[in-house]
Amino acid sequence: MIDGQARVTGRLELVLNVERPGMLHAAVARSTVPHARIKEIDVSAARRVPGVREVVTGADVLAMDGIRPRFGPVLRDQPILALDRVRYVGEPVVAIAADDPEAAAEAAFAVAVDYEELPGVFVGSEAIEESAPLLHEPAEGVGPTFPDIVLNLGAGHNVCNHFKIRKGDVDAALDGAAHVFEDDFTTPVVQHVALEPHVCVVEIDASGRMTCWDTTQTPHVIVKELGELLGLTASQVRVIVPSLGGAYGGKCYTKIEPLTAMLALRTGRPVKLTLTREEEFVTVTKHASEFRLTTGIDDDGRIVARRTRCLFNTGAYADIGPRLIKNGGYGSPGPYAIPNVWVDSYAVYTNLPPAGAFRGYGQQQAAWAYETQMDAIADRLGIDPLELRTMNLLGPDDVYHTGEPMHDCRFRELLAEVVDGVGWSAESEPVRSGSRVRAKGFACAIKGTVTPSVSTATVRMNEDGSLNVLTSSVEMGQGLKTVLADIACARLGVARDRVHVSGVDTAITPYDQQTSSSRSTYCMGNAVLDAIGELSEALRRLAARQLGADPALLEVGGGEVRAPDGRAAAFGELVRGAARGNLIGHGRFHTEGGLDSETGQGVASAHWHQTAGAAEVEVDLETGSVEILRFHTSTYAGRVVNRTLAELQSEGNVAFGVGQALFEEMDFDGGQLRGANLGEYQVVSFDDMPRRLKVSFMEGGERADVHGLGETALPAVCPAIGNAVSRAIGARITELPFTPERVLEMVRQSEAVAVGPGS
Amino acid sequence: MEPSELTLTINGEQRTVRARPMDMLLSVLRSEGKLFGAREGCGVGMCGACTVLLDGRPVSSCLMPVVKAQHGEIVTVEGLEGEHGELDPIQQAYIDHNAFQCSFCTPGFILATKALLEEKPDVTEEEARAYLAGNLCRCGSYVKILDAVMDAKERLRRPS
Repeated sequence: MIDGQARVTGRLELVLNVERPGMLHAAVARSTVPHARIKEIDVSAARRVPGVREVVTGADVLAMDGIRPRFGPVLRDQPILALDRVRYVGEPVVAIAADDPEAAAEAAFAVAVDYEELPGVFVGSEAIEESAPLLHEPAEGVGPTFPDIVLNLGAGHNVCNHFKIRKGDVDAALDGAAHVFEDDFTTPVVQHVALEPHVCVVEIDASGRMTCWDTTQTPHVIVKELGELLGLTASQVRVIVPSLGGAYGGKCYTKIEPLTAMLALRTGRPVKLTLTREEEFVTVTKHASEFRLTTGIDDDGRIVARRTRCLFNTGAYADIGPRLIKNGGYGSPGPYAIPNVWVDSYAVYTNLPPAGAFRGYGQQQAAWAYETQMDAIADRLGIDPLELRTMNLLGPDDVYHTGEPMHDCRFRELLAEVVDGVGWSAESEPVRSGSRVRAKGFACAIKGTVTPSVSTATVRMNEDGSLNVLTSSVEMGQGLKTVLADIACARLGVARDRVHVSGVDTAITPYDQQTSSSRSTYCMGNAVLDAIGELSEALRRLAARQLGADPALLEVGGGEVRAPDGRAAAFGELVRGAARGNLIGHGRFHTEGGLDSETGQGVASAHWHQTAGAAEVEVDLETGSVEILRFHTSTYAGRVVNRTLAELQSEGNVAFGVGQALFEEMDFDGGQLRGANLGEYQVVSFDDMPRRLKVSFMEGGERADVHGLGETALPAVCPAIGNAVSRAIGARITELPFTPERVLEMVRQSEAVAVGPGS
Repeated sequence: MEPSELTLTINGEQRTVRARPMDMLLSVLRSEGKLFGAREGCGVGMCGACTVLLDGRPVSSCLMPVVKAQHGEIVTVEGLEGEHGELDPIQQAYIDHNAFQCSFCTPGFILATKALLEEKPDVTEEEARAYLAGNLCRCGSYVKILDAVMDAKERLRRPS
């Protein structure tokens, strides 16, 4: 990476390191109960803690003029501080600003709240029952982030959105199918566990302008939302984002910014809020899911119909859940050509912490369901799971169930590669040695990227021919700055050490929709190329005058503009000749699409991310432990821009998948989270990685679209490992994660079945 | 208890800091020392992002009361560079293998690697994996970290 030196010396700029003169430190007193009416809040002891400057409750927020008390990217349902009710354990109730973090924490601890507890509900399928407690009255208005979102509100008890696909005649096709399989699959709540927590520093100057140093993947969303909450224009809110210490979706959309801004507003001092690890676990999570797939197969093994019903547990506040269920829903038929599809996908409120964007964005949950079911179907039909997939996979001329034509489909090649990579064959049986059994499994997956989508960029060429790239895409470890520099260098032929890629400062850098959805190399990369196109036009015009040549015949590249006769003018020379200090090019890249709210027909994704993964595992039947001996992941990249960074994305996806397959799970007991720390919530370490890991990419030639890789490999990882483990133990795992306890339970059940009743 | 003056040996220099005896070394390094390479990832000694060396041994500075570090030599990642900013061979190996993504964990990994290679100059891959299992890289850069560690081992054996 171009900033490698800062990364190995500890000098990387992080919000964690931001200090401002006179800065106060914030802490938050949080709800200790999952669902309750607030009877009384006693902050007198908190106010008496030495060093405390401000103590704010929801009532104080309501009393402030011109402050909107609730926020949310889609539905404005989340209070800055709890108003009359709390809806999950960990919800912010009182905010404190103090001279140092210890005093703030002590004051937060001293807050006493009297609650009248209400019944809670924690599971999606229970929350939609009419008898379950209702978490919210109908939404108070749509939030500012996605004007294109279609909301089906009121589609059910505690349902905050319902996404549908209606294609063909599913009932008739299932009736006429030779075989119908109906299976349930679940995934638990997990957390992003970016090692850098959410951190926010807000400073407001005498004229009311606000500067916010923020760990966010969506800086322009923060500008818009803080502006709307506080009645400021976009030009009055400046969001600065240095590098992030990991994000994985958890730093999308508004989280702690309104609270920090409010404290800054009330104290007139800069305020910093740094979440603890425990607070991270209750700030945003990944949606738990419950999928029921009903799949009809004809005599030849072709899938003739699929009905999906899926519930995404979005927790107490909607966050981006109402939008995420679309991707989870349209992803549920998987990479298969299915003529009849019916999808009902729901975002459901419960009394758990809010769930939001998470690497894989709903489609990882879907892939767990559809790829596990593919193997389960193959087992029950006694056919080869590879053949079952191969005959149903989308090909280049197929139309997806959304009605959009597919192109560049590489699923068959990707699968063939990984299956060969681990040496799988339909004939190979699990190998047993003592209590240990080895087996192999595989899966493939499809993922869309946010569509429609807009990125803009500015490039500035200086008098010495060096280049500045201005972008609001966020560097969060994916190597965004390096990749944009690579793209600019390749196009202009400027040396890499002469290109600077900016950090995010919304007062200066142009609009970008978001750094998520594996979109930055594709969307921002193309915006930078578009900006370079405009810059090149300007260079060409200047060179045409200087060289007395036809601008249409001039070539830009290699650091200069060349005429067909070989004469050339260097970039720096041309900029100096223009006598304006620098030359600027602006660029934009956008995609178009969207799905009909009643039928789910339209364009779901500008292009499709494709992957396959295969695993060899060893399961100990006596302890239930699973070791991953090897894993091979292969992904369609279109074109690889930077191979090392591409590999790191896929390796990281495998690590994420391994953790979620084997142990990651937030364990709630009546809404109380057990073990909100890294002692009890395990993430993948060196010990857990596959002993052998192979990463490969398939490319589509020089003209192929660049495909994002940030999440692409992930959805296939859990089902590939799960299918291998299921083969090893002779029983079908449908629930994540497969901890030793769960594996042992499955082994016992399958042994009981094998022995048979009464024997 | 009010903070008082304490003298610490940080990166070979005597530094006087204001701290309470039970303040954690991590917070003192950051707030008093303005050394930002050690970072709190978990606060319970599980992630390794706050790793520093105390008398050559890696410790979790988030759990180390500053009094316990008072009489030892503390080395942070900032202390690995030479006088003119030359990188330690381990740091260079991490750069050359791009053995990081977000790099929040990188200073901790580099210091743990330093201790490892001093303890075991002929470390095997298996031993390195086991030794470094106490440092977490949530981005999952483990393959390239291992490459960097094994390469650093070679670089340290054949000083240039």
